Amino acid sequence: MMRRLVTLLFTACMAVSVSAPASAQVDFSGEWGVRMYEDQPERVPGPELGDFLGIPINNAARLRAAAWDASLQTLREWQCRPHSADYIWRGPSPLTISKEVDPVSREIVAFHAEWLRSVDRPVYLDGRPHPSPNAPHTWAGFSTGRWEGDMLTVAVTHLKEGYLRRNGLPRSDKATVREHWIRNGDFLTVMTVVTDPVYLTEPFVRTTDYELTLNQQVPPYPCGVVQEVDRPKDQVPHFLPGDNPYMTEFATKHKLPVEATQGGAETMYPDFRSKVRAR
Amino acid sequence: MTRGVAGVAAILVVVGTGTAFAQQPPVAPSARAQAPVDLTGDWVSVVTEDWRWRMVTPPKGDYASVPLNAEARKVADAWNPTRDAASGEACRAYGAAAIMRLPGRIRIAWEGDAVLRVDTEAGSQTRLFRFGAAAAEASSAPTWQGRSLAQWQPSGGRRGAPPSGGSLRVVTTEMRSGYLRKNGVPYSSSATVTEYYNRANEPNGDSWLVVTTVVEDPRYLTGRFVTSSHFKRLGAGGTWTPTPCETG
Repeated sequence: MMRRLVTLLFTACMAVSVSAPASAQVDFSGEWGVRMYEDQPERVPGPELGDFLGIPINNAARLRAAAWDASLQTLREWQCRPHSADYIWRGPSPLTISKEVDPVSREIVAFHAEWLRSVDRPVYLDGRPHPSPNAPHTWAGFSTGRWEGDMLTVAVTHLKEGYLRRNGLPRSDKATVREHWIRNGDFLTVMTVVTDPVYLTEPFVRTTDYELTLNQQVPPYPCGVVQEVDRPKDQVPHFLPGDNPYMTEFATKHKLPVEATQGGAETMYPDFRSKVRAR
Repeated sequence: MTRGVAGVAAILVVVGTGTAFAQQPPVAPSARAQAPVDLTGDWVSVVTEDWRWRMVTPPKGDYASVPLNAEARKVADAWNPTRDAASGEACRAYGAAAIMRLPGRIRIAWEGDAVLRVDTEAGSQTRLFRFGAAAAEASSAPTWQGRSLAQWQPSGGRRGAPPSGGSLRVVTTEMRSGYLRKNGVPYSSSATVTEYYNRANEPNGDSWLVVTTVVEDPRYLTGRFVTSSHFKRLGAGGTWTPTPCETG
């Protein structure tokens, strides 16, 4: 009898300890105000054309960006397009993170991140696998998280094509993203690592900051499609290769070498300054 | 019988030894021994953000993104790099509130068991993060790097599991007034800098140091100036090229 009781207790203890792969260490849920003390001119008014500084892009990305015409965003198909999961952190929007709790185990099984102009973005913590590569790709992608100490590391796949910067720099649907959510008291710092075999030569890493903001509420953002520009139905705004007259405007305005503004992995590293000075 | 006596004697020796140990005051492990994360090594800043304000010296009056008050803007508008150089103030942009934002490599190493030392290529500066009793040493005159008190923040354990990993919190005060950006955007000697050092590892073998910096300055800032900078870990024996402080 006693032996059975001990066995039962042992089994129960093991079950509790083993069934907690997603045990939350830190609560990220709450209202987070975005702090745009980095790259504010790019993030609020929007990036200038031809500004690819410090982004490890390849020539294919430069060609796509040079073909991009901002008027593209007046197309009906583009007007309500949300920012993708990798870009939205860097947008000018407040953030709400909510948690989904298993009613029995009381474990957090998912966080949901939502911004203005975004779709709901769940990050699953319940150990589920990512779907087949052939599963649909979405703006939010498919995200799973696991704890590394107090840091939540998130793997994002299944993203639709998006952009690295809102001036035409593309990010392909083959890209994957890793995120590290770090909470330091009332500050949230999120590191995003974008790996894109199509448009990047190295992972593109950024860190973005938010601050806990108790009186904030992310408002709804209903979006309606309207006819913004009268143009033939089959016309898509673009520039043909070599025809974009705006690609050097940014370099001229800020007295920077055009080579630097064209981006590339080399421009991310401190030693690139010697090239800038030599010009 | 003899074996029985010997066994009892052995037990008594063990118990006695244990008692002797218990009577000694416990020795607290050093900050170095307690480190929940290894931050040491050479790291290079990867400038994918604020490039225009970090990789080159921006023009006078370009203080976009910084929450300055009117007095600070006046100071920034009066920036004179020639005067700074002539008056021995060339390191104003290399103080603790800005140094981690400057492009370059940094080298982190222990100096003893209670001080974490950070050397920077940019401006050839040295920061000393002091833990525990080392932090209580006598204060001296303000310096560019100020006085930094460090504290580990171990991750919380869960359901009896021991903590795994953690981060470093550093609070710096007693700084000379300096520049948040090389073009004379000011912070005052009343500023406080709070930093959080976290480390993240990637499947491709890259290791990253993420430094979140919060600058509070009752004289020049209207709010907390928050930035985060990232550094990629370098292999041993790599390039190390310290440079002097430069104005302009």
